[in-house]
Amino acid sequence: MTALLTKTGAAVAPPVERKEAGWRKRDRWWGLVFVSPQLIGMIAFVLLPFAVGLVLAFAQWDGLTQLTWVGFANFQAQLADPVFLRSMLNTLGLALITVPVGLALSLLVAVALDRLRGRTGYLLLYFAPVMTSSIAVSLVWQQILRADGPLNEAFTKVFGIPGPDWLGDPRFVLLAVSIVTIWSSMGLNVIIFLAGLQGINPNVLEAARVDGAGPLRTMMQIRLPLLSPVVFFSTVVAVISSFQTFDVVFILTKGGGPENSARTIVYQIYDEGFVHFQFGMASAASIILLVLTLVVTAVQLGLQRRFVHYES
Amino acid sequence: MNSTILSRRNFVAGALGVGALLATAACGGPAGGNAASRITWSTWGTPEEGQRFKKFNTQFKSDNPSITATLQMVPSYSDYHSKLLTQLTSGTAPDVFYVGDDYIGKFVSAGVLMDLTPVVTGPAAKVKMEDFNAALFGAGKTDKGLFALPNDCNPDVFWFDKKALAAAGITENPAELAAAGNWTIETFLSMCAKLAAKGMTGAMFWNYWSTHWSWVAANGGKVFDAAGKFVLPQDPTSVAAIESLAKGFTSKSFTVADTLPDGSGPDSLFVSHKAGFYVQGRYGIATAEQSGSKDDYDIAPWPTVSGKPGPSGVAASYLVINAKTKAPEAAKTFVGDFLSAKGQTLRLADGGNAVPSVKGADSVVLGGNYPVHAKSFLTMTDTGFEDFAQEAKVPGLSSDVSTAMLTMYQGKSSPADTIAAVGKLMEKAV
Repeated sequence: MTALLTKTGAAVAPPVERKEAGWRKRDRWWGLVFVSPQLIGMIAFVLLPFAVGLVLAFAQWDGLTQLTWVGFANFQAQLADPVFLRSMLNTLGLALITVPVGLALSLLVAVALDRLRGRTGYLLLYFAPVMTSSIAVSLVWQQILRADGPLNEAFTKVFGIPGPDWLGDPRFVLLAVSIVTIWSSMGLNVIIFLAGLQGINPNVLEAARVDGAGPLRTMMQIRLPLLSPVVFFSTVVAVISSFQTFDVVFILTKGGGPENSARTIVYQIYDEGFVHFQFGMASAASIILLVLTLVVTAVQLGLQRRFVHYES
Repeated sequence: MNSTILSRRNFVAGALGVGALLATAACGGPAGGNAASRITWSTWGTPEEGQRFKKFNTQFKSDNPSITATLQMVPSYSDYHSKLLTQLTSGTAPDVFYVGDDYIGKFVSAGVLMDLTPVVTGPAAKVKMEDFNAALFGAGKTDKGLFALPNDCNPDVFWFDKKALAAAGITENPAELAAAGNWTIETFLSMCAKLAAKGMTGAMFWNYWSTHWSWVAANGGKVFDAAGKFVLPQDPTSVAAIESLAKGFTSKSFTVADTLPDGSGPDSLFVSHKAGFYVQGRYGIATAEQSGSKDDYDIAPWPTVSGKPGPSGVAASYLVINAKTKAPEAAKTFVGDFLSAKGQTLRLADGGNAVPSVKGADSVVLGGNYPVHAKSFLTMTDTGFEDFAQEAKVPGLSSDVSTAMLTMYQGKSSPADTIAAVGKLMEKAV
């Protein structure tokens, strides 16, 4: 719209535009009102605790008495603590098992469900553990994985030898935690992969079929490359989620498992803070976890350029 | 139909109104009355224990109509103190609360508890200082005051299964041996070896401070000196005691109850007559009753080198008042009533699971004439010791020590390495 000129020659917005600008201003206020609960929640439960955690990481505080500054001592103590190093290794180990295995299984299921009629029922079944409280899931699995539980009973019947003490033997506890984690998170990845598969342009698949590509070749050379952005997204989310594993470990194992065999960094944070009342040490551990997560995510983002193909 | 457009002003006014309503409801609470007559108290426990506490609350309300006591129950002991710490940090802690013996030292030294001396002194006191077993104050009593009072306690006694002992060819009764001053460690170890030889478990111990330190004390050793220094590593008798304890576990005569699988846990083994001894408190009555033949079970004190009963661990919980309570008088009344002989009898009678911490409530233990040597609960409480203040002062230390001991019990570390590791933990904590 052409701008009007005042007597001094300055351009002013026409009346209609001024009215729209007023609406926009009012909308902005309403927008703020409606996002404020989220904003307040973000400040109160994310930014503020993060700031407090950052400060506490450089202090010694038991939650009850005076806080004292200790500089980097908490970080040094954590990095020199074999229990913390064990929890770091366990966390990485858990990610190394759960992320590839969990995603591969989810992809397999998604591919199987892609062309299946009545898949809604299956999707509901796969998604049910995601909707169920992780505490309830862990309690049920605790009974299943007992040395004399149903899993080992079946194991004995099939192989004729007693099954392992999943939760009592340090060699098996992390594996047990991995099984439960994979089982309970698979549904979400199946949904995401299924959505990705169904978003692939059917013309591309048809062209591949006409060119003589079989199902395996179509999968490896067409569908997987086209699905790579979705796989990338799921991998990043799964790694971060794996780094934050706590509830399954807390319920399934007693204090991180025998010989700390399943103690994760987040369990270590809980133990330092709420069992030993050492919030400085707990905060330092949480900062280390943050840095670890950022580094791994940055590496993933770097690799994205080589392995992720975006459909132009 | 008229449509109503919600203006921003109306929206904000409405939101404020709803907020004010919610705030009023939250502050009001269910009980009504003024803040000085309303208290909240918290503890951990099973639903059955919760029923006992509710019964006490009803009696308390009847005795003190002007005070309302609201119970906050946490099911798990392991989650209780972390919740309490969060409440204390955020200024929302209950007026009166339980504290476990492995945490009491920390809460006392942090200065968050009220001095309870007025509760147990003066002519109107419902429970007097001298009514308590002095050994039970533990880290709750310092030179600055009395900050925690024991609710009740549980001496670690040796529950034994007469049927299992007989099956192993043991004809002597440990309780009678103890009464005669002949309940020696040598005899006990020989009984456990016989039980193990018959494919049974000799003795089952829970892995906690009372197990390690009672064994050291029974063998005539010393854990801390009078100045509070961890002297166990320098005392040859104590070191030998730890070595013999480790040997008991590695030779399979002893078993760590905590590590037994759920399906065949210590209770199952004991009620199915597959274990000779099970070291636990008065709550063992419930286990014995599960067997359906409770007369097969009795109790004996810890064996000693000389055979004469000696001191052993007594687990206790404490009742304290929040230093920031807004109802100090009501809280004191509650604590007085709760710990009085009447209060303890109400909580612990008829199948209760602990031993009273005050005089005048012995009938709770002796009333049912079970087990046959129930009197041992009282004598062991009188001669026993609480978790050492040095250990109880540092949150998590007791549990860290148990973790270190577990590796020794499982044969994964030598007694010498374990003693060194425990020494380091003690040193680091101090």
